[in-house]
Amino acid sequence: MMFLQNKIFLSTQMSLYIGGSTMQKTQTLLSVRNIEKAFGLNRVLKGINLELSAGEVLSLIGGNGAGKSTLMKIIMGIYQPDAGQIHIKEQEVNLNRPSVALAHGIYMVPQEPMLFPNMTVEENIVMGFDEKQAELHRRLVEQISEVGWDLDLNRKAGSLSIAEQQLVEILRGLLRNAEILILDEPTSALTFDEVKSLFQCVNDLRSKGIGIIYITHRLTEVFEISTSVAIMRDGVITLSGQVGEFTKEALVKGLLPPNREEKAEEGGQAESVAHVIDYSKPPVLELQHFSGYGFNDISLKLYPGEILGVAGVVGAGRTELATTIFGRDKALGGRVILDGKDITGLSTKRVIEAGLNYVPEDRHLHGLFKIADVAVNTTSAFLPDKSMGRFLLNRKKEREVTQKYIDDFRIKVTGQSQMTGSLSGGNQQKIVIGRSLSTGPKVVILDEPTRGIDAGARGDVYAIIHQLRKQGVSVLLISSDMEEIVELSDRAVSVFQGRINAELSKEEINQDNLMAAAFDVKQEKEVIA
Amino acid sequence: MTTIKKLTKAREASSLLFLVVLFAIVGCINKDFLAPSSIMACFNDSVVFTLLAVGMAFAIFIGEIDVSIGSNLGFSAAVVGSMLRDGHSFVISFLTGLLIGVLVGLFNGWGVAVLKIPSLIFTLGTNGILRGMIFLYTGGAWVENLPPQFTAFSSKPLVSNLTVYYAVVILAVVVIHILLTRTKKGKYFIAVGDNEGGATLVGIPATRTKVLAYVFCGVFASIAGIIYASRIGFITVIAGNGYEMKAVAACVIGGISLTGGLGSVIGACIGAVIMSSVSRILVFMGFSSDYDNTITGLMLITIVVLDALLQRHSAERIRRERLTNRAASAAQKGGEQA
Repeated sequence: MMFLQNKIFLSTQMSLYIGGSTMQKTQTLLSVRNIEKAFGLNRVLKGINLELSAGEVLSLIGGNGAGKSTLMKIIMGIYQPDAGQIHIKEQEVNLNRPSVALAHGIYMVPQEPMLFPNMTVEENIVMGFDEKQAELHRRLVEQISEVGWDLDLNRKAGSLSIAEQQLVEILRGLLRNAEILILDEPTSALTFDEVKSLFQCVNDLRSKGIGIIYITHRLTEVFEISTSVAIMRDGVITLSGQVGEFTKEALVKGLLPPNREEKAEEGGQAESVAHVIDYSKPPVLELQHFSGYGFNDISLKLYPGEILGVAGVVGAGRTELATTIFGRDKALGGRVILDGKDITGLSTKRVIEAGLNYVPEDRHLHGLFKIADVAVNTTSAFLPDKSMGRFLLNRKKEREVTQKYIDDFRIKVTGQSQMTGSLSGGNQQKIVIGRSLSTGPKVVILDEPTRGIDAGARGDVYAIIHQLRKQGVSVLLISSDMEEIVELSDRAVSVFQGRINAELSKEEINQDNLMAAAFDVKQEKEVIA
Repeated sequence: MTTIKKLTKAREASSLLFLVVLFAIVGCINKDFLAPSSIMACFNDSVVFTLLAVGMAFAIFIGEIDVSIGSNLGFSAAVVGSMLRDGHSFVISFLTGLLIGVLVGLFNGWGVAVLKIPSLIFTLGTNGILRGMIFLYTGGAWVENLPPQFTAFSSKPLVSNLTVYYAVVILAVVVIHILLTRTKKGKYFIAVGDNEGGATLVGIPATRTKVLAYVFCGVFASIAGIIYASRIGFITVIAGNGYEMKAVAACVIGGISLTGGLGSVIGACIGAVIMSSVSRILVFMGFSSDYDNTITGLMLITIVVLDALLQRHSAERIRRERLTNRAASAAQKGGEQA
């Protein structure tokens, strides 16, 4: 048995070596070999092999729970693997602490930048070094002018935008002479321009021979930025190779569980054909010149049983629009009319009572009671209702409601009493949506309902949204994922820098139009045409 | 010029201003309070609280708290006092006292940083254990008859009214402040409190730093215990009871944020003078010093609440400003295009 394993190991090594030498004669910076890791009985990594050469940008894609972050934490020395080795420049290393990984030239820019908000930019960058401060300052200034960024070193890090914070993180890595840079979903919070400058920076670094592992959920980015790609699913790498060998469809297939894709496709098509919306009816939700912090003069109508897509880039003001309607922020002008009733500026409780509910983008921050069980979470928005008991909680009713949504939404739980924090991202999202529906709303605002959840769960969430519409609930769907808006919406508007800049009918909705509207490039397109 | 600007902007500056205004107001009501000897007494008497507050500052810098320092002070004082009374040498007795501080700090650090137990709960438990140990160690009796040279030293002046104790403590605070702000390792404490995850990622040993912070806190509490014994001359079983609240209040009044990562030991030092002066101020203003704890508690809550509201308000203001700017820049652009 032992012998057999060794042989397999040798042969994979051989093939990797051959693969490397035929492509290019570049140095292998990082080689991850047969890494395994389990947390309790949960085997997160089941023998991962990964290679990164100098000047390579390796896109690592995979759903939530695929094990990407666990693997990166092992490479960073935060977790220890149960089995397998890591080699850096052909030498086996024991990365038992982050400081050891840093000393070997590995640096990870985490998804949420991990700066010290109360310190200045410079203090942030030089923190953790052993050199003299004057020397560090000299190198830092040199480094900044080399990459050509405009950054005030004396600003407090807490006042920086997410993009600037990421630059600070990258500078930290560069100042450490990092040769292996891990970028964990760097574009998830960036605006269009910021993404462009980040890509430029990645290209610069690549040309300097730095190897980059680029973790992302966005498939288009893979083709734009990377030289090679690897897909992780369920603790193994299912697909890897040069980017040129793949199409987007092939990558999507690699992400989906083997028997899952056909079902999802059929379901989606059948649903979207059958639905017709009666636009002669009065709108269920109407915004009239609605203004607030971050958005201006928004007018739109949402009809019964309609899914209205709200496209745009992150930071366009869509989330602010939703939270202001929901009574979480101050309205500055205009009116919100729900089913003929003016709900402008009402408290969140009254807005819910009036029949509108909101599913927030960040379920961790605003949405879930993580250390409460599934039942508590599902019914928490429903508590003020008399049927849940006047003073004492009606436990039977709580169980009933919860079970309904668990069944309807195919939420994978061990039982109603499972702690919500231990569920996967997709299942958490289903619970948040389930909760918003338990109040029997006429309108639901979904803010990025599938952000950061895997392809399988995404299909389930789409099915839920279709089901909602069938029941006559209208949906305001805020999404930065253009495919999502194309697939789900009956009509779409685009918000650009706080204003509606385009409205698209069902026939006009396609990725090109949406993308153009989201980045406000309409005029240029007309010129070209 | 820039240094002056920096100084006035510093959080400690407002604490110092508060101290001056407070003393001025009390002085208006009772002129005797402003006599040089009275003012110096305020500083000299704050020596125990200064030590406790500086230790507590380490725990708060890293975003935690240590409520065991009161009992730690009492236990260290009882052990060192009884050893001196029984004729042990000063060196052996003091080293034993410091060892107690180190061990208590290691225990608290192990619970909070390694086992990741909420610090308030863990150190509350330590507080109970230590308080109980004082009763067991002394059998409920006072520790008295300390060597006269030990107790006499407490009032020994360095120059005019400034005691040696306070002078040494002030010197120590300045040295610690420089170590914390000017050295790389010293900045680790603030960094860990500011963002623990980020600190780990840049290679700062977060767990070790936290344990070390608790060791400092423990050691400062036991030094405070030794000085307490020297100043008071006897140690009861409730020595140091409730001092942890004064220490926390001193830190907070000195501009140290309870969320961690913000503030300085200089601020803690100023706060300690204010807190230890409360009972003296009450007497000078003609009230009973029984109000002491109530007023300390009120001040603590007032400042923490104000600080939290201000922080929330400014965060909200910045957010709204940013959003408004974003929408405004779009409007501007639109205008240009048209």
